[in-house]
Parts: sequence; structure tokens; C-alpha cells
Amino acid sequence: MSTQHHPPICLEKAHDDETYYLNMGPQHPSMHGVLRLLLKMRGELILDCDPIIGYAHRAHEKMAENRPWIQFFPNTSRIDYLSGMIYNLGYCEAVERMASIEVPERAQVIRVIVSELNRIQSHLLWFGTFLLDIGGITPFLYCFDDRERILAILDRVTGSRLTYSYGRFGGVSRDIDDVFIEQTRGFIKRMGEQAPMYRKLVHDNIIFLKRCDGVGVITKEIADAYGVTGPNLRAIGVEYDVRKAEPYSGYEKYDFEIPTRTTGDCLARFEVRVAEMEQSCRIIEQALDRLPDGPIKPAKLIKKLKPPAGEYYFAVESARGHFGMYFVSDGGDVPSRIKLRTPSFSALSAMPDVLEGTMVADTIAILGSIDIVLPEIDR
Amino acid sequence: MSSPDLSSLELGCEDAAYEGTGFHQVHRAEPGQIVAIAQKFLEAGYRLEMLTAEDRRTDLEVMRVVYSFNRIDHPDRHLVIIDLEPKIPGAHAPSIMGIYPAADWYEREVFDMYGIHFDDHPDLRRILLPEDADFHALLKDFGRIEDAPAEGEASA
Repeated sequence: MSTQHHPPICLEKAHDDETYYLNMGPQHPSMHGVLRLLLKMRGELILDCDPIIGYAHRAHEKMAENRPWIQFFPNTSRIDYLSGMIYNLGYCEAVERMASIEVPERAQVIRVIVSELNRIQSHLLWFGTFLLDIGGITPFLYCFDDRERILAILDRVTGSRLTYSYGRFGGVSRDIDDVFIEQTRGFIKRMGEQAPMYRKLVHDNIIFLKRCDGVGVITKEIADAYGVTGPNLRAIGVEYDVRKAEPYSGYEKYDFEIPTRTTGDCLARFEVRVAEMEQSCRIIEQALDRLPDGPIKPAKLIKKLKPPAGEYYFAVESARGHFGMYFVSDGGDVPSRIKLRTPSFSALSAMPDVLEGTMVADTIAILGSIDIVLPEIDR
Repeated sequence: MSSPDLSSLELGCEDAAYEGTGFHQVHRAEPGQIVAIAQKFLEAGYRLEMLTAEDRRTDLEVMRVVYSFNRIDHPDRHLVIIDLEPKIPGAHAPSIMGIYPAADWYEREVFDMYGIHFDDHPDLRRILLPEDADFHALLKDFGRIEDAPAEGEASA
């Protein structure tokens, strides 16, 4: 199949009596937010698909242009509400690089710990809802039990369960204490013990395998053409992770692997994310071992920030892939332009090519497996 | 593993400080050259990482479209800047969708938010704003969100 674009509604194709259009969403329970898919179908076969987005557009990029750099910061955890911490800290890192602000070592290690906890939390929610989508209700309950423990840990240190606003330009807002370290170690231990249970519950389940194995293959050509990143790309066998390619927060000092699979189907994406949670646990353990004493933010907090004029780009690895921020500064204290390049946007834009020729029942499995967050696509 | 050979295109090219800006190189090009540039990047194995626009009508008297190309095997980020005439509607640029399908949605978003027209884009319609919107929200003269009258409030 070619990766060239084809118009969303292929009217030039034979328009026989059995061809019809089906609106899936925007209120469909498996559409993960407010996504509408306009499907052109013959029977249960999808001939073409047009994703219609924008229902959750909140004008984040417009808001960025009429407030100082620091006031845009709380918005960042609301773009992708499941990777709120990663987006918060990514925005801080980007501004720090732009304005040449030093970050103390302890703050960097704390950032890695909370980011990885956030990643596990996001993957656990995805794990539960994905299986819920394809008919398995039980795993959801176990996942949310484990996820709740992370939220409690992060809630204790940041004061929030979802929209953390934990970073500060040059550090983090509050220090972690021994209770945090103890709770986090306890959670890592628990995750290690839970893994065989999850495997038994899900991965050996014949219905699960039938729904996922060989379904919804994203080829390397499609991924390259549409800029697909994150676990969806690693499931094809491409070892690309921003944490390794362009390290930030000292990720180059940690020993971890980039899990990959080669088949690029729903099962491969599932396995990559499960393996990623194990790697995140490894990173957290190393970070807890090396946590140095010292300050967590600059002695003098930056109140008035005026970055030098110019264009800047900075990327972090969110739970969904390459999250890039393009900044234009005119030298003043208000951004001239902030463009947010979000990973789900690219993954969803590839869907017409992926869904073409699949069955409508598989749509749920495929869209569930690429792990999209609609507010992040609509911004 | 090599950068694309752009010498034949005679671009304004400068090395950027990667540590500070995130870009390895910045190129300034004419709008007519962008298809040829995109083709060179595609042949050299680059991905289109991002495409967006800037409303620079007040300071530089241009509408600007920027492209970011990058590799996924080792980072080598190139920013390509093209400047269009400062008129909305009126500003237009060639579409690179035929080369990078990823540009499809990015160009639709730029059209939606800035009103810049991409020639040869087969399906240039709004993507985030409502279909019947009569404005382009990221233009600087669109105003501030806070200035819009709240629902139910009489517009003065």
C-alpha cells in the first residue's frame, strides 16, 4: 500500500448500494475522549476513514501568546492530562535551555523519578482502558488499584493528582522526603510482584491474543511518512526514544533499555508498553540510589524572564512519544509563538492509512492500542 | 547518515548553536523552493518533525511558515524558514503534502489558525476550529481571548 495521501472520502471509488458512512463518535465510549471517525464502509469492511478532531480545542497556543512565559506553565499539565508531569517538566527544561538557567543535581534526579512515575501511571491507565475496550473488565480494576498508589505518592509531594504544576524554572517546587522514597520503593517492589499476575491475567488469554495478534499493523513506511513516534514506533523495531537520542534531565546517566518489537501490530504495542513500565522502574531505582543532597531550586527565583530573541526547539519523551516545543521569543517577557508538537496528533493522522481495509470491530482495538489522548491532539 | 546536499539551491544557511536553540542548522528559503528542499530532505532520510506558521506582520511585515526536519537515527535538526506576503487572505505557499503525508494535517492546521493557503493541497479545510468559523484564531490581530464578550453578554 502506498503511503501517499488519498482524499478522506473517496467518492471516485465505486459507489454501489452496499457502501455507507458510519459516524463513530464523538460520544462513543471507546473513543477515548471526543474523537469522531467518519468511516466509509462496505459491510463491516472499512474502505476509508476521516478522523474529525477539534472538539476539545482549548486554544493553548493562543493563550501562550498573551501571558508571560511563567504563566503559561500551568497550561502544560493540561495539554496531555495523563503525562502532566512530563509536560510540566519538559516545558521547564525548554525554558531553562533557552534562558540558560542552571538546574541543581538533586532537582534533576527528582524530575526523573516523578516523570517515570508519571509514565508508569499513564501506561497503567492505558493498559486498563485498552483491555476494557476489547472486552476484558477485570484487568481495569487491578490497574487502577496500582495506579491509585502512584497518584497518592505524587499527590503527597505535589498536592495534585493530575495537573501537577510541580516544576519551577530552575528546579522543582517542593522537596521530596523519606516517606516519598519509602513509598516509591514500596511501589517498585509491588510492581515487580504484580508483573507475573498481569501476565497470567492478560497475556496468556486466548481472546486477548485473537483480538491483538496481527491486527492494525503500522508499517515503517507509514510511521516515517506521518512522523509516528513513541511506543507505536518502537513496536515496529525502530529504537527511537528522545531520552536516548537527545538526553535531558541527566537521562544519559541511567542504565536502561529501549524495548522494541518488530511486528508493529496491537500485540507489539502492548508488549512494548509493558516492557517500558519495567524499564521505568529500573530508572526510578537508580535515581533513588543516587539522589544527592542539596538545593532543589535556585537560591533566587526567576521572577522576570526575558529570553533572548530567536527560534528554539526542545523535545521530551512523553508517555506517547516525541513531544516537541517550538518557541519564538522576541526578547520580551511574553512568548511570540509557542507551537506544541504532540505525539498523538501524528499517530492519529496516520490512522486513515492503517484502518483502510480492516474490520470495524478492529477499529476499537487499533485506536485503543495507539494510546491517543484527545486533549493533546486538539490542544 | 549525511545531511542533504542543499548547495544547488543557494539558501541562506547558518549553523545554529544546538545546545541553546535545539537546531543544528537554520535555512532561509524562498517559498518556491520549499518543495525541492523537502524532496532533498526526504531523499536523505529525514522526517518532517513539525510544520507551523508565525504571524510576523507587525515586526517583520511577513507571514512566516517554518519547517523542522530531523532524523531519528541521530539528531540533526534543520529549521527551514520561508517568508510570505503579509496579507490574509492572500498569503500562500506550495504544499509539501505530496512528499511528506505528515504535512497534510499540519498544513490544514496552519490554514485553520492563520489563513495561509497551501497550493495543491487537495483537502485544505479547517481541522481544529468549527467548520463555519469566519476567523483565524492565531493571527495577532484576532485579539485576546479575554476580550471576547462572554456568552449572554451584549457585545458593545
